[in-house]
Amino acid sequence: MAEAGRLNLPAAPKAGTMIGAEPVTVVRAAIIVFILLFWEAIAQSGLLYRDVVPSLLAIGTAIVKVLTGPVIKCSAEFGIGPFFGFGPYEFKWEIIEPELYCHLGRTAFEVGIGLLVGGLSGLLIGLVLGGNRVLSKSFEPYLYYLGPTPKIIFFPVMIMWFGVGPGSKIAMGAISCFFPIALSTAAGMRQIDKVLIRVGHSFRANAWQMATKIYLPAMRHPTINGVRLGLGVAIIGTLLAETKLSNRGVGFLIIQAYSLFDMPRMYAMLIVLFVVAIGANALVGRLGGLSAIRQR
Amino acid sequence: MASVATLPKSGAAGAQAAADAGILVVDEIVKQFDTPEGPLIAVDRVSLSVRPGEFLAVIGPSGCGKSTLFNIIGGLLDGYQGAVTVGGETVRGPHPAIGMVFQEESTFPWRTLIENVAFPLEIAGMSRKDRFVKAKKFIALVGLSGFENRYPAELSGGMRQRVAIARTLASEPKILLMDEPFASLDEQTRLLLGDKVLQIQQDLKQTTLLITHNITEAVQLADRILVMTYRPGRVKRMVEIDLPRPRSSDVVSSEAFGRYVAQIWSDLREEATRGMQDEESRTLQAGDAS
Amino acid sequence: MSMAAVTRTRIFPLALGIGALAAAILAAEVLIRVGVINRFIVPLPSQIVPAFERVIVEEDIVERFRLTFFEAFTAGAMITVVGVSLGFLLFRINILRQATETWVAALASAPTVLMYPLFLVIFGRSAWTIIMMGFVAGLPPVILKTIEGLAGTRRVLINVGKSFKLTGPQLFTKILFPAALPTIFVGIRLGLIFTLINVVGVEFLINFGGLGQLINDLAERYDLPGTYAAICFVILVSVCFFVLTERVERWLRPVD
Repeated sequence: MAEAGRLNLPAAPKAGTMIGAEPVTVVRAAIIVFILLFWEAIAQSGLLYRDVVPSLLAIGTAIVKVLTGPVIKCSAEFGIGPFFGFGPYEFKWEIIEPELYCHLGRTAFEVGIGLLVGGLSGLLIGLVLGGNRVLSKSFEPYLYYLGPTPKIIFFPVMIMWFGVGPGSKIAMGAISCFFPIALSTAAGMRQIDKVLIRVGHSFRANAWQMATKIYLPAMRHPTINGVRLGLGVAIIGTLLAETKLSNRGVGFLIIQAYSLFDMPRMYAMLIVLFVVAIGANALVGRLGGLSAIRQR
Repeated sequence: MASVATLPKSGAAGAQAAADAGILVVDEIVKQFDTPEGPLIAVDRVSLSVRPGEFLAVIGPSGCGKSTLFNIIGGLLDGYQGAVTVGGETVRGPHPAIGMVFQEESTFPWRTLIENVAFPLEIAGMSRKDRFVKAKKFIALVGLSGFENRYPAELSGGMRQRVAIARTLASEPKILLMDEPFASLDEQTRLLLGDKVLQIQQDLKQTTLLITHNITEAVQLADRILVMTYRPGRVKRMVEIDLPRPRSSDVVSSEAFGRYVAQIWSDLREEATRGMQDEESRTLQAGDAS
Repeated sequence: MSMAAVTRTRIFPLALGIGALAAAILAAEVLIRVGVINRFIVPLPSQIVPAFERVIVEEDIVERFRLTFFEAFTAGAMITVVGVSLGFLLFRINILRQATETWVAALASAPTVLMYPLFLVIFGRSAWTIIMMGFVAGLPPVILKTIEGLAGTRRVLINVGKSFKLTGPQLFTKILFPAALPTIFVGIRLGLIFTLINVVGVEFLINFGGLGQLINDLAERYDLPGTYAAICFVILVSVCFFVLTERVERWLRPVD
């Protein structure tokens, strides 16, 4: 019934089909090739300092070296705290692997915990504020206006509170993602179609049933978008903190390459980082999209 | 032929009368709202009684307090004077014996049809297997068999309202309370759905209270029609509809039908005109003030 | 007035919000004095307040503010000019838009600010590193919103233009562009916010520039009250900037 009457005409031949590919893909490939050629031209010409624009070969080699990297014993034995009189808490484990993955794992861990802490508290606050008009008008402005501030400036305070270890980086990630998640959850609560709430009440659902069977499903779209955004800013916040003060993590590797003026390595690290970050974002987006299709 | 039914008195005599006269008794409801322009009486001493198995329609112009009455009976609104009783029990909050069908789109977009219809059974704690079996029956009742695993977005507006009705029927309420459920549908769909509702009501002997502003709909479906005045909403007249049962949408072409409609329109026209004049004067005042 | 009616007044939420903040600050003061919170980690609020004045007077706040403002303004001007132009270009050349729009969107959420060491190498420890970082961060929203605004013009408006036999350029200047302007301004506002965030952030990271560098400086001097005061000051500036851009956008878009 929904798809009645679709005419099935053969598609007209488009430019580029002679090469056997869609025109969009052709243009994309052309752009990439052009950029790469342009890059190599600048690298070879010597217009800038030799290493500011390394040749593609140098970058390629560096990427391979980074991915297969010096094999080290990756041992994690870090503590969190003390803060406000609690802790320190110690974690210990060991594995032998190329250097990159050790640091990648460290960053992933920091981002993960930061997203968990910031995300859960953001969700909670968002639910509370979204559900109550008065509370929302009183406190949501704080979130709204504090949101677009550079959270990295809180880093010195985080170091004082949580020490120079992963604690301060996790805190940075948590602060970064708390705001967008709280705000989008609150907004999500408010856009729930009121009639659905009345349906729940008319069938006398209790508070828990209302929350799980009506509120949460009804706002899954804004919540998932908030989490995507939160993931993005948590990654940025954590990594920036790592570049500022750390001896582990991808941020540290980048700044280390900079201080050694190993430009091909720095480019390689940045490329790896971007691929991973964009990949993680796409993954979350896909998960969100999948669940949306299943539940509509 | 119209006659005014005797309305039950309040108090103990009223309770006895209620047990005899009807399973849903609305007794002298007064509801006042506090607006920025001052107190507004939406419903003023409305009483009615619905007999078991009967189809009662409440009709009135926009602004007569019909939806307020709907929410009060359904237990979603409080802070009123008077009482609503179901089978002798006072209504305080949504009552299990009353099932509500809302005017707006109310199907859950993230659940399939069968999950929607099974919702009240899920709330009541029925197992997944049992409730799906039961839900299937009600889906068949509204004529949507085969669409169990579709999502509301894939269905038309009329089908979605049928889903909402099936969902409420699945909770097997003693009284079905509907607030302009066909308001957003076109005339032809409305007439056909009306047929469906008539058939269901006759099959299940479902006691039904329908709030509407549509005269033909009310006369087509109801055994009795309560005409309300414009704000403050009071009972203007109770009309017995003596059209034969079982009925179908063919009845709209009969002479008796036309007479009933004309009669109710003459009552309603007065109230509707008052309502329009009131709106216009308020708009004028607001314009002057700004 | 009943409790419920009180909560519905306009002033109550404002009072509640400010009151809660004041109560929190008071609680912090008490807890630190009593010793529950370590005073070497969190300074007394009563010490932070005088630090405000000290920081403003001693740290040449006006000059710093001017520098940050200059960097943000330059980057802002760049993203406006380049962003709207690129957005228009992509809108006109459809194939280019189809090819690159998702890339621009990905760039908007990518951690571009992490390229700051690279920009340091290219531009040195100067204002230009900061300006370029602000530029890169603020550009994608402007491009995307420009495309969205131009492409999103309602079909019927274009048809009105065609029915009056407007030429291509006329159609653009009299219909498309005015219709797209509100969305373009939303994009510029978003871009400016990203730009400011990155400008202050990179100032902090590379320890150069205006306000961002101030925080870094004070933190490295272990001037706790001063650091907290400077952070509050930067938050204030950021909030004012945000409110200002909101007001401007609303002034330019009265119908909504």
